[in-house]
Amino acid sequence: MVDIARVQKELQECNKDKDSSGISVKLKGGNTLTHLVGSIPGPVATPYEGGTFIIDIVIPDGYPFEPPKMQFVTRVWHPNISSQSGAICLDILKKEWSPALTIKTALLSIQALLSAPEPDDPQDAVVAQQYLKDYRTFASTARYWTEAYAKSSSVGIEEKVQRLVEMGFPEGMVRDALNAVGGDENAALEKLCS
Amino acid sequence: MDDYINISSEEEDECFSDRESYDGLDNEESDSQWVPPKPSSIKVITKESILAAQKEDLRRVMELVSLREHHARTLLIYYRWDAEKLFSVLVEKGKSALFAQAGVPLVESLDPDTTLSSSMVMCNICMEEVSGWEVTKMDCGHCFCNNCWTEHFIVKINEGQSKRIRCMAHKCSSICDEAVIRSLVSKRHPDLAEKFERFLLESYIEDNKMVKWCPSIPHCGNAIRVEDDEFCEVECTCGLQFCFSCLSEAHSPCSCCMWELWLKKCRDESETVNWLTVHTKPCPKCHKPVEKNGGCNLVSCICGQCFCWLCGAATGRDHTWSSISGHSCGRFKEDVVKNSERAKRDLYRYMHYHNMYKAHTDSFKQESTLRETIREKVENLEKRDPSARDFTWVTNGLYRLFRSRRALSYSYPFAFYMFGDELFKGEMTEKEREIKQNLFEDQQQQLESNVEKLSKCIEEPFDQFPEEELMNTRMQVINLCVITDKLCKKMYECIENDLLGSLLFGIHNIAPYHSKGIEKATELTVCHTSKACNTGPAIKPDDDINGCTLESYQPSGSGSSDQSGCSSRKRPRMENFGGAFFDLNLPAEVMEGN
Ligand SMILES: [Zn+2]
Ligand SMILES: [Zn+2]
Ligand SMILES: [Zn+2]
Ligand SMILES: [Zn+2]
Ligand SMILES: [Zn+2]
Ligand SMILES: [Zn+2]
Ligand SMILES: [Zn+2]
Repeated sequence: MVDIARVQKELQECNKDKDSSGISVKLKGGNTLTHLVGSIPGPVATPYEGGTFIIDIVIPDGYPFEPPKMQFVTRVWHPNISSQSGAICLDILKKEWSPALTIKTALLSIQALLSAPEPDDPQDAVVAQQYLKDYRTFASTARYWTEAYAKSSSVGIEEKVQRLVEMGFPEGMVRDALNAVGGDENAALEKLCS
Repeated sequence: MDDYINISSEEEDECFSDRESYDGLDNEESDSQWVPPKPSSIKVITKESILAAQKEDLRRVMELVSLREHHARTLLIYYRWDAEKLFSVLVEKGKSALFAQAGVPLVESLDPDTTLSSSMVMCNICMEEVSGWEVTKMDCGHCFCNNCWTEHFIVKINEGQSKRIRCMAHKCSSICDEAVIRSLVSKRHPDLAEKFERFLLESYIEDNKMVKWCPSIPHCGNAIRVEDDEFCEVECTCGLQFCFSCLSEAHSPCSCCMWELWLKKCRDESETVNWLTVHTKPCPKCHKPVEKNGGCNLVSCICGQCFCWLCGAATGRDHTWSSISGHSCGRFKEDVVKNSERAKRDLYRYMHYHNMYKAHTDSFKQESTLRETIREKVENLEKRDPSARDFTWVTNGLYRLFRSRRALSYSYPFAFYMFGDELFKGEMTEKEREIKQNLFEDQQQQLESNVEKLSKCIEEPFDQFPEEELMNTRMQVINLCVITDKLCKKMYECIENDLLGSLLFGIHNIAPYHSKGIEKATELTVCHTSKACNTGPAIKPDDDINGCTLESYQPSGSGSSDQSGCSSRKRPRMENFGGAFFDLNLPAEVMEGN
């Protein structure tokens, strides 16, 4: 059984200081507290600066005695994050999880991971190799990915695309519709339904 | 594996049981002086004694390091129940390093309950305000509500981490107090509390280098504890004899590594060997298997001997084939003989050793049926001469035969690896190897011929012999017993000192030779002094541990101070534990597997 009360409190707590921390957690949709969406700003002075990274959060039944399952939705170029799936390699999300940690502290740890990659314990071997052998190329690729996938313009679009796709519209049509109405999600929905 | 040699002790015991006086009276053997049998240092730990055995070690650590029981257990589990290692770390690195590594808090809150009151406390896990009575503070000082602790424990026990459940606080590596775990979990989930208990208890066997489950199938429920030397062979009280180090059958003087390779080799080659027995015939001169080459019925061995495939008899080299009926090929290639490839030579080499090993294992099996015959013979002799004559020489001879035969049969796989290329190619020069092999084979052959003589003597119908001839046989058997025992000992000395001892890397250890056979484990009896019980509070008095858990857990600690004997109270005390609690007949993972 998920501790509903605790998750609720965590959400309140987290969103109280979201302006200062930049970190926010929202419900994924519907009324369930077991599927959340987190958002963290890319740390300054890193290739991720200026980006906003969306993280999919699934709260398992055993929470908080079992770690939340977190995964990047936004594509990111980082040694400890799969460039394909967004899977994160972070000890506190696995063996080192403690019930005293929260969703917010976990997101903060992920943010810290963006600043300080650990290429010796990689999730994405290709990225890790590049990080170790050719940092310049790594940094420019990471910056390019941030530009392409994590900038406010793109992030808004991506979220909207995802939501509309989940409603059952084909991705190509969704993108066209959003383009046609200048990014307004509701207008795009109307267009898609008409 | 059907080559398994096992002298079941049950039968051996039976053989002696009705003649109690025989025990230890084999002074006609090499021992000229009678030495009272000293209790074996190898102990069998039954489901009744596992708790006592664990407590014994716990108490030592509790006394020497002066700390509470669950901390002692945490330390011992961390150090795999190696108290000596633990003490040496304590001496070398000091208490704080020792404790920190294992997750034992150095400074305990001496009075853990004083801070708790009826006022409300915020639990940082569920983020609820709870009454001070409903929270628990661990030794590390971290305090959370009982519900959260319980939930945490349940998740960890289900994950199989019972032995080291860490505190819930982030980055706190302190190990939780088992008494708290037990009491909280049993309130919500009694069967899980049992599982926890079982994991803790079995840690004594599973994490302990010197204790191992008896490998019997079906499992007899026992574990064996050795002292000092893990390279030994033991006999469990269930009768199974095994190598303590690798848990395979007793295989000395083969090392564990050699034995493993040998078993694999036997499995891998069995098909080839079967094929060979169909497609080869032994050479009439050197007895190596010779393969038939094509349809020609004149075959030749690498030793140079030619023989007739049809009848197996030796033939002359130049001709004779006209006399072999059905022979049509007129060619005879000598180079076939010379160019026997290496692979084939290796196989023949293996087959030679395997045949010898097999021959002795087979003899051993046949001789095992001798037990009955021997018993009859002794009975006949006793009937013939009721004046209580001593016939120990008969049974002594039989068991000497078994022991020597065993050593002999395992000496073949040993020799196969010792003098082969597989393991020690770089360790000896060809010359050295030849010298050593000769030295060893001399001893092996001496032993072999005397074992065969002994076997022949024992098999004779001496119970029907006239008196004088009987006395002759008796002298022969007694002499051969002394000789084979000495030769076994010498062969082992040669192996340990001249062969394995000179190797660069000492990974090949063998169980030492025991003249009296494989050592039998004896039941563990634990004597505890009252003093030990009073050191350190094993269980906090105000801890809310109720019901059966405490009762079953407590016994060797408090309450036994009036007890001076050791084994007398053991059974009734443990009955509760073994019966009402859980069945230790199977290791945990076997139970779980069901
Ligand atoms: Zn709580
Ligand atoms: Zn702690
Ligand atoms: Zn056994
Ligand atoms: Zn072994
Ligand atoms: Zn031959
Ligand atoms: Zn021919
Ligand atoms: Zn013939």
